[in-house]
Amino acid sequence: MEVDSQEQLQRKQSTYLSLDENFEIQKEVYRGQQYSQIYFARLHMMRTLLYSLVPNWKSHLPVCTVLELKEGKECIIFGTLYKHMKLKPCILDEYSKERSVAPLIKPHNFMHQDDYLVLEDESGRVKLGGTKLSPSVYVTGVVVALHGKETSAGAFFVEDVLEAGLPPQIKRPLKSREDKYVVFVSGLSIGRSSSNPLQFQLLVDHITGHLGDEEEQGLAAEIVHLVIVGNSVEISRGLLNGQNLASKDQSRLCEPFKELDILLTQIAASLPLDIMPGSSDPANFALPQQPLNRCLFPGSTTYNTFRSCTNPHCFELDSIRFLGTSGQNIDDLTKYSEAKDKLDFLERTLRWRHLAPTAPNTLGCYPFTDRDPFLIDSCPDVYFVGNQEKYETCLLKGLEGQLVRLICIPRFCETGVAVVLNMRNLECHALTFGTQISS
Amino acid sequence: MATTSKNMNVFYRQKKNSSASTGKKSTKSPSPKHAATFGSDITQPPALVSHDDFDEQEQVLRQFDMNMAYGPCVGITRLDRWERAQRMGLNPPKEIESLLRGGKVKLESLFDGRV
Repeated sequence: MEVDSQEQLQRKQSTYLSLDENFEIQKEVYRGQQYSQIYFARLHMMRTLLYSLVPNWKSHLPVCTVLELKEGKECIIFGTLYKHMKLKPCILDEYSKERSVAPLIKPHNFMHQDDYLVLEDESGRVKLGGTKLSPSVYVTGVVVALHGKETSAGAFFVEDVLEAGLPPQIKRPLKSREDKYVVFVSGLSIGRSSSNPLQFQLLVDHITGHLGDEEEQGLAAEIVHLVIVGNSVEISRGLLNGQNLASKDQSRLCEPFKELDILLTQIAASLPLDIMPGSSDPANFALPQQPLNRCLFPGSTTYNTFRSCTNPHCFELDSIRFLGTSGQNIDDLTKYSEAKDKLDFLERTLRWRHLAPTAPNTLGCYPFTDRDPFLIDSCPDVYFVGNQEKYETCLLKGLEGQLVRLICIPRFCETGVAVVLNMRNLECHALTFGTQISS
Repeated sequence: MATTSKNMNVFYRQKKNSSASTGKKSTKSPSPKHAATFGSDITQPPALVSHDDFDEQEQVLRQFDMNMAYGPCVGITRLDRWERAQRMGLNPPKEIESLLRGGKVKLESLFDGRV
């Protein structure tokens, strides 16, 4: 067996630029503000944007506020949508006198055919009628422009909708590119009883080039970056019941982190990696989740290739813009609206130019006062979401020539599937790791 | 409501017989708790007192608070709100800024402490 081959395989490199500043909340000070501030910021930004798009849409119609609506007068109004949902869990249900047999909270979807939409701006709100705007597609928090007129019943009959549409995309410089790959993995769930440590070890060995012959290693050398998209650890519920922990339980609490750190150290020694927090990780609950504390990773943080990032996470690799979340935004959309698949939800958030429109209504969110950090100003080249059921991907084309690769990353613990993206042509494929020994 | 005073006693249960006599006394020599408090602030907490004879500066600032074009005023200081409006390109009047940075005006919105 040849120990020293002719040349040592060098891993390819790419320039990294972090764009997470918008999602950091260290500088924010809580002064008792409520969510009205973030809604105002969102409405103002989106309204300014939509106002500039209206001349291309319907230039002949007047624009007015909700209070200025007159019956029968055709006009355009801007505002935030609010979806009134009959089945949406309400804290007051706990106090209702009648207890029905049906459980108070259904786990999956809170939609009902009686749901209706309301448009709200600073001056007032108006119920929306007509069939153009489907309550099953929209959620609370989306800012739109509507063309229609007020009916005698006091509702606003919608004739047409204007969404912001895909944001403008910065054109990537067209230089002849070589194949460079980015690997996405999410939902490692280390600490869960059903998680298989061998699967992730296989992934680590493959990426770091410890598996396979020279050809395999050559392919692995073209992987320039790894992104771990949330839910890396899972702490058993029994340990989190609020009781004081015995010392043996305390070590059980730390075990998943130690295991994760060992694996991440192997990766960090080999290539740059980003780790994002998810819903089951020890980070804050409300979006934007802050980076996982470096104390959790004593081994990996010694490497400058290890980066703990926010959720949502935005970065550039070789001037290709990546944007993604650990799944909370899409999961919330799944609960309050419907679509044929998760990629549809991803596309909708891009068209609404907002990562998490249901925040702060049903999704925890920090009460920003002067900005809404989830607004998408520039169209990413790659838009990903983690912790989904299965691997799905598609290429979205915008009206102004935007090209976005949408990726749903499945939970690795359950599927053993990681996603590999080629930065040269934005093509995607799945990397599956199985540990079953076939008989 | 043509009820005589006799009937009123039926509706309103009197707790003590002595309360009627002390009530009469209190109108002659008002104790601080029952006194009419026109112009006097000692009985009410400061935030609830409505000073109608406010200076002009505070009135101008209240108008700024109430102007919905600059967004909600609750939970944000007036200066922060002014700066936010400035950053958003809403062109808030410069006098408000000079008032807030300069003199002895309330930096919190009019709802501060009341909501």
